[in-house]
Amino acid sequence: MTDHYNKLVKLAARAFYDDLPAKSENQPKTGRSDNRGIAVVILDALTRRQWVREEDLAKDLKLHTKQLRRTLRFFEEEKIIAREYRRETAKGAKIYSAAVAATADGQTTKEGEEKVKLHTHSYCCLDYAQIYDVVRYRLHRMKHKLKDELENKNTIQEYICPDCGKRYNALDALRLISFEDEDFHCENCNGKLEIESDKLAAQEGGDGDDNARRRRREKLKDMLQKMEIQLKPLVDQLSRVKDLPVPEFGTLQSWEALASAAGRAANGDNAGDSRNSHLGYNGAPMPYSGDTKVVVDFNGTEGKGEGIKSETDGKPVKVLPPWMIRSGMVLTEEQRGEVKQETKMDGTSTSSTAQYTEDKKSKVEHDNNTNIQDEYIKAYYAALLKQQHELAEAAKKEELSNSQTADDPSSSISIRQVGMKTKREEDDDGTEWEDAPIGGNGNGNGSYKAVDLNVEADEAAADDDDEDIDWEEG
Amino acid sequence: MFFHIVLERNMQLHPRYFGRNLRDNLVSKLMKDVEGTCSGRHGFVVAVTGIENIGKGLIRDGTGFVTFPVKYQCVVFRPFKGEILEAVVTMVNKMGFFAEAGPVQIFVSNHLIPDDMEFQSGDIPNYTTSDGSVKIQKDSEVRLKIIGTRVDATEIFCIGTIKDDFLGVINDPTTV
Ligand SMILES: [Zn+2]
Repeated sequence: MTDHYNKLVKLAARAFYDDLPAKSENQPKTGRSDNRGIAVVILDALTRRQWVREEDLAKDLKLHTKQLRRTLRFFEEEKIIAREYRRETAKGAKIYSAAVAATADGQTTKEGEEKVKLHTHSYCCLDYAQIYDVVRYRLHRMKHKLKDELENKNTIQEYICPDCGKRYNALDALRLISFEDEDFHCENCNGKLEIESDKLAAQEGGDGDDNARRRRREKLKDMLQKMEIQLKPLVDQLSRVKDLPVPEFGTLQSWEALASAAGRAANGDNAGDSRNSHLGYNGAPMPYSGDTKVVVDFNGTEGKGEGIKSETDGKPVKVLPPWMIRSGMVLTEEQRGEVKQETKMDGTSTSSTAQYTEDKKSKVEHDNNTNIQDEYIKAYYAALLKQQHELAEAAKKEELSNSQTADDPSSSISIRQVGMKTKREEDDDGTEWEDAPIGGNGNGNGSYKAVDLNVEADEAAADDDDEDIDWEEG
Repeated sequence: MFFHIVLERNMQLHPRYFGRNLRDNLVSKLMKDVEGTCSGRHGFVVAVTGIENIGKGLIRDGTGFVTFPVKYQCVVFRPFKGEILEAVVTMVNKMGFFAEAGPVQIFVSNHLIPDDMEFQSGDIPNYTTSDGSVKIQKDSEVRLKIIGTRVDATEIFCIGTIKDDFLGVINDPTTV
């Protein structure tokens, strides 16, 4: 059923939006700016997706985001796509990614893809129900317009005085009535006006001669015929689709909820599942939300009701899933005073700017993922111990406050968010030890960002390594 | 289409109206002056609905008349191309028919009357379908679409069509 609708979209795209950008661009075309057909490509791509983040779509299509947006805006005005915008942190992005993963259409975003900042993201989705109506309406209007012109509807009747040849039109009617009889009379000679017969579309061509009118009429007929022939596939598809249920994806929110729920159900308990599940939609804690737990534990100020600590401690050393590792690293870094250095350089949350980061990067590149993972784990535990120690000794109020702020977001399970907040505080505080650890979160952010840009996946790894190194130093 | 707008007008008042009722006199004169007039820009003034502000009067040299700038709210009616109106037929002839929608006069030429309606001359000239089921004559009510307007400084005239979906007779006087 969706197939039929998709075919409809494709046909409509080719029929109506083939020359789209040409219309909107005024500047002369250079080879590079010739985007003809881009609309068709985008619509086709949308038929293979459901809700899609526009940046992702741009990436997939190798289009510039601006260009894509311009076209999407046009489609939105045409009412053939639905769009939604929201300001969101990495969390939101993650929810979406999870939902995408669950739809299993091969669009899975990389694990750990996350965002640093609060960004306005826009999503779009084909609105099949509306497309059906829009296409039908468009066809109706096209036909109607041609027929109107052909039948000379909506044209202004002209009158001519047979005696003096003066011309009038219907807008003069009021002046032309004579009340002796009911006819129109010439203002000049009072002759009886006659209807200018065969006055087809005269308004457009001025007083165009008969030939021009006839040619125009021929042209209209021709167009009408061509239209019927060329749009036949589209019309057929419309009637095929007529009684089919319309594919509905709902709003972005409901779609995400559905998709991720379906994904969880399908995946069972495996690691992939846990990864998705901690993205819990409303921020409701999910069973596997390891990330959150770790954060809480680190801060130490909050209740450990989640048993994070025990969970982590109790685990034998084994390869953790990457997401876990990342969060762990963040924590350790935070714990460490080393972050202090970072804070100095750190104006930017992404630690990649720091020179020492770069060193790490180089190191990182040597390492393989597996090695990294092992190291992470080791470092993580070491860091945990150390951290607990430190916490016990120095429970500073600032730290408390930091941790609290960090914890608040935990309700929504967004580590990144936490990281951001803490980071800001850290900046305020300057070089303080305890604050510095939060800078680790900043790192986490950086890595998210990098990952988010898909292209820079390597860098993300590098960030992880940074963290790793920190631990080693510690 | 109707609009509720604020217009301004300089009212000249004869000194004999000065006194306690000056304001009332001014307002009733305003209504008498503007209601039913037409300007190409704003359309027909249908009714004055309120006075926004009456400025200071200025005595004219030599006459004793006083000019008051008056800002008033009013309902205006301005027809637009493409607008659908309901109108009463006022006259039918072989060229078509005239109708009125409030203050606006509209002419529908015979080629914008559906092809299946034929002109019948006689005592009561009319357009009728071949089966006689639909008839347009004086006092018929029709729904029409404006396809052209002629706007002068003090006059608006429209031409319309009933040759489209959902247009045509909506109330036949002979059946009422
Ligand atoms: Zn003449």
